[in-house]
Amino acid sequence: MKACRYRLTGLAVVLAVGLPFVPLVLWALADRWFFPALWPQSFGLRAWTYITSTAGVQVLAAVGQSMAVAAITAVIAVAMAVPAGRALGLYEFKGKDLVSILLTLPVIVPPLCVAMGLHLWFIRLGLAETLGGVIGVHLTFSLPYAIFVLWGVFANYNPDFEDQARSLGASRFRVITRVMLPMILPGISVAALFAFLLSWSQYLSTLIIGGGRVMTLPVLLFALMGSGDRPVAAAVSLVFVTPALVALFFSARYLGARSLAGVR
Amino acid sequence: MGNLSLHNLTVGYGRRNIIQGFQLDVRDGELVSLLGPSGAGKTTILKVVAGLLPPTGGDILIDGRSVIGLAPEQRDAVMVFQKPLLFPFMNVEQNIAFGLRMQKRHPAEARQNVAEILSLTRLAGLEGRKVHALSGGQQQRVALARALVLKPSVLLLDEPLSNLDANLRQRMRDLIQTIQAETGMTMLFVTHDQSEALTISHRVALLLDGRLRQVGTPRELFHQPADPEVARFFGGKNFFQGRVQDELFIADFGQFLVGRQAGNGHLRTATVRPEDIIIAPRRKDSTAALTGRIVKVNFEGSATRIVVACAAGEFMVLTAQDRFTPGDEVELTLPPEKIRLFPLP
Amino acid sequence: MISRARQDLDARTRPGPGFKGLTVLLAPALAIVLVLFGGGLALGVMQAMGYLPGAGLGRLGFQHFAQVLTDPDFATSFALTFYVAGVSTAIAAGLSILAALGLASLRSRWVHFIFQIPLTVPHLVVAVAMLFLLAPAGLLSRGAVALGLIAGPADFPLLINDNWGIGIILVYVWKEIPFITLMILAVLRNSGRELLDVGRTLKAGPWQRFRHITLPIIFPALAAASLIVFAFTFGAFEVPYLLGRTYPMTLPVWAYKHYSDIDLLARPEGIAAGIVIALVVATAVVLAQMLTRAARKKGMVL
Repeated sequence: MKACRYRLTGLAVVLAVGLPFVPLVLWALADRWFFPALWPQSFGLRAWTYITSTAGVQVLAAVGQSMAVAAITAVIAVAMAVPAGRALGLYEFKGKDLVSILLTLPVIVPPLCVAMGLHLWFIRLGLAETLGGVIGVHLTFSLPYAIFVLWGVFANYNPDFEDQARSLGASRFRVITRVMLPMILPGISVAALFAFLLSWSQYLSTLIIGGGRVMTLPVLLFALMGSGDRPVAAAVSLVFVTPALVALFFSARYLGARSLAGVR
Repeated sequence: MGNLSLHNLTVGYGRRNIIQGFQLDVRDGELVSLLGPSGAGKTTILKVVAGLLPPTGGDILIDGRSVIGLAPEQRDAVMVFQKPLLFPFMNVEQNIAFGLRMQKRHPAEARQNVAEILSLTRLAGLEGRKVHALSGGQQQRVALARALVLKPSVLLLDEPLSNLDANLRQRMRDLIQTIQAETGMTMLFVTHDQSEALTISHRVALLLDGRLRQVGTPRELFHQPADPEVARFFGGKNFFQGRVQDELFIADFGQFLVGRQAGNGHLRTATVRPEDIIIAPRRKDSTAALTGRIVKVNFEGSATRIVVACAAGEFMVLTAQDRFTPGDEVELTLPPEKIRLFPLP
Repeated sequence: MISRARQDLDARTRPGPGFKGLTVLLAPALAIVLVLFGGGLALGVMQAMGYLPGAGLGRLGFQHFAQVLTDPDFATSFALTFYVAGVSTAIAAGLSILAALGLASLRSRWVHFIFQIPLTVPHLVVAVAMLFLLAPAGLLSRGAVALGLIAGPADFPLLINDNWGIGIILVYVWKEIPFITLMILAVLRNSGRELLDVGRTLKAGPWQRFRHITLPIIFPALAAASLIVFAFTFGAFEVPYLLGRTYPMTLPVWAYKHYSDIDLLARPEGIAAGIVIALVVATAVVLAQMLTRAARKKGMVL
């Protein structure tokens, strides 16, 4: 009875999650698929040949730019979020509520508003239409998210371990590298994953600041949707989800099932 | 009314049985402790009685009616957990009134019941407090009040004092005893602390390795343990073997008067509690059966614990005298009425 | 706001690293947020008020905001955006409660892994997939033809670019359920089981346990997660752009349309609309928090 209920829950989850992928995968592998056929008339790798050869340079460049932007954003965000999260998670101080509100706002306010405001300034600074500019605008929301993750991590972190290590003869630097970082490593991975995924999926702020010159995968996919070539759009969509799925797989494997609570 | 009968109860996870053939009767108005080391399965039994775990065999009767198959909310037994587990989103009064609300009691009646319980548990004046603004002792009293207000036939208490510090534990123990005396509620009280069990209960049930070893009044368990393991659990030391011969117990290092005992001519294990041995400096013309040299002296305040190496082995003595030092030659006297004999396993 | 409630218990008593130490720890992160986010927002407000160096719009004032707010299309856009965000959030929150209850006692790692997949899939990809699934010539329509339910694409109900934003809502619901559910599950697993056992021995039946224990436990997490989802869906661009109708548009689409207009004079209006979105979202969050706090004070949650 209970096992039966579990099986039904599992089945519902698999069906609900899997359904949108069905047309995506079918279109990516379809050669000809006219209405009203439920199944493609013929399968083929035309879309894949197209995105790896004819448009190969473009797609590869987009993957590279997306990767570069997301990875650099994640590294900067985590590097700054670790000290900030430590301050917020371990200590009580005046103005903590203010800091909390300041960090909540970027999570709530859509990046669209910020990007439109920053655009003119970035043009002046020469940051518009550059990777640096795009990373800058992605940091406005990735960094607060990473800080919230590490705030939670440090709130459950016991700094007495560091005092213990100091009394056992470890230097200040070694305490950070040998005690603190290993202990919060799972938290760091989650924060990095958050920041990476947020940046990786970002479309509009990239378009506004990058001005079409910084061609990340979502920008490319949007352009392809306009062209109406369904198999190619489907294939690029699949390329677009792959790194995220790989990241999820590793996080589930190494961080346990609850690791992604809070990601979006 | 509140009679609780556990009949041949067996509980297991998977193929392993944690509790095997457990048998216990708690009479109306009685406070019985379920005593045992941690991991003995005490909490498991409580959860089975409460209905939170299903037994694999046996029967549970509350006032003569089997409650097997009844959901916890349908049983006339309420459990108080080790942690207070108060609902964080309710204040003290709401927490206490929870059960009455679930039973859809009339609000006015409920309010009166809550007020009575508040004064019984000395919580009057705190009803509006948030639960996280309470001390640990107050929280545990709210948890107790929350259960008492339902006036269950049987109240199940799962080590409710173990998270409190020594001073508070003493006061809470007194409170539970007072409430039990005033209400006459049947209680099954789980603890791993022998002194707690001995002070608080009418009867104690000792559980070792999932089996019930002995049930009786605190004095019975302490002074007449059923077997050496029960004796050991209550701090018994000084075990030695010998043969019963008429009114004598003959060990290979000497013989002791033990009075008339069953099993004449048989091998027995004898034990004497450390505090029952009389210790004195060895006299020149000593005829004592047990003489030896002190190897260790531990001063514990009101008593001193002394280890004496005798020809027959080491004996532990607990004495109020504080005048011995290691190396002293001493003689030990075992009062006949304090020697307890057990058949060999 | 998101993670304050459950932590910081020891922080009060711990000796701090001093003002200097705190500054060193917090300064880099706060500087980035203040300069890039705060600066971006401030510059946005200035531009929306008419500041545009070199373009000859010297007069500062609220004329662009006035223009946006009095535009007849603004009200319809606002209503549509509010409707889409509200309905998506409500449906996702409701289904998340069910999902959390279903998953709380389910141990299968595989199901949990699959359940988390939508978290990592970009909204854009979900929108594309929904388009292939729900369009008049999409997979569902083909299925309906195969089953003999309809004769052709024209008979299939309009689910994309429709009046009711069904396609948009479906994307958001699919995407946000795991987010809300995981926030609820974390709380449920922490204290839920034990408190439910207490409730059972205190005579609460299954529905009473859900209503009086589970719901109050998960409420803060549910509310926080729902707020984030509402804020996100209210300000998101790509899904309504791909799956919505050309008229009326949602506010973010409307804002970007004006912002990217060839007529540079429309740009401040676009930015003003963006600021309005930010204000609406911030107000919603503050209001919801005040309501929750008031409800808590009265001792009634929900």
